[in-house]
Amino acid sequence: MAARATNPNFMNGVPELLILRLVQQQEMYGYEIVQAIRNRTDAVIAVGEGVVYPVLHGLEGDGALKSRRKTVNSRSRIYYSITPRGSRRLAELSESWTNLADAIQRMLTGGQHGATIQ
Amino acid sequence: MAQPFNELRERLLRAGVAPRHVRRYLNELADHLADLRAEEERAGRSRADAESAALIRLGGMDDLAKAMTEQRHFQSWCGRAPWAMFGLAPLLFLAGAYFVACLYLWCGWKIFLPGADTPFSGVPTGPIYGLANIYFQAGKFYYYSAPILVGWTLALVAARQRLKAVWPTIGLVLIAWMGATAQIHASRTTVPGGLGHISMNFFTLAPSGQNVSDGLLHALVIFTLAALPYLIWRLQQAFYPSA
Repeated sequence: MAARATNPNFMNGVPELLILRLVQQQEMYGYEIVQAIRNRTDAVIAVGEGVVYPVLHGLEGDGALKSRRKTVNSRSRIYYSITPRGSRRLAELSESWTNLADAIQRMLTGGQHGATIQ
Repeated sequence: MAQPFNELRERLLRAGVAPRHVRRYLNELADHLADLRAEEERAGRSRADAESAALIRLGGMDDLAKAMTEQRHFQSWCGRAPWAMFGLAPLLFLAGAYFVACLYLWCGWKIFLPGADTPFSGVPTGPIYGLANIYFQAGKFYYYSAPILVGWTLALVAARQRLKAVWPTIGLVLIAWMGATAQIHASRTTVPGGLGHISMNFFTLAPSGQNVSDGLLHALVIFTLAALPYLIWRLQQAFYPSA
């Protein structure tokens, strides 16, 4: 039997996708990112806010984000912005999630089986 | 830093997360907590309530720790390959330090004792005697202190990573043995005016009782001096865990 790509964990890649999408528009620091996720998803996606930092650091380590320290209102913060590699990763994740969401939507609405999710 | 972060720091370090990643993570968490607390206070909560609410929103200790420990690229080399950090790297560092010592000795030989068969036998005369003496004494000091300095570096790395005693002890024993058995040989080639030749050998002792007991004593002295800072740190941790 031929091997197939599977999605063992539906939440895999969601934090990365949301973060990359947000910092694509403007550079942000951790607290801003978490608040933006909460506001734009109407708090549907809620996690312990501190766990955003390992994701940010991981993305930075992969070269998808870059950071710089900036002092605003006498407070020093680390701002994150997207890199060209991050933009490519965002495009891949977006496509993958759009396909997945379409497939699930078709299932829920009783449509035909969707295309294989890559 | 708040008490919860002290506990988190210890957990992360013991789990093998690199100290620089831990430091950055905790700094950003502290900033985030301050923002959350300010937000809760603006919403009308008292300072104590705001602090509690902010800590809950930040996430539980297990979640905060797990988010870091489950990503392998945050692991330090001490966590990933302790055998390399404490078995191999100290020996390579010490070999490098001895190479520098040999180079230093060879330069002194060329400058101060150009006619001597070895740099250990000749005595420079004239006005350069004082300078030569300082030069060779400094070299000797460096040569004898090299294993101890490497041991202190190893102890610092182990303490920063909150490592158990096994790997640092292995590293210190290897350093002590290498330092105690190190021998320098220097000779001049038979070609008139030829270059001096310096070499070293390690890990073996001449098989006489005196040599073995001297070697073991030397190793014990190096081990004791090199292990002292680590031992002090362990005692401090045992008696004052929060220090």
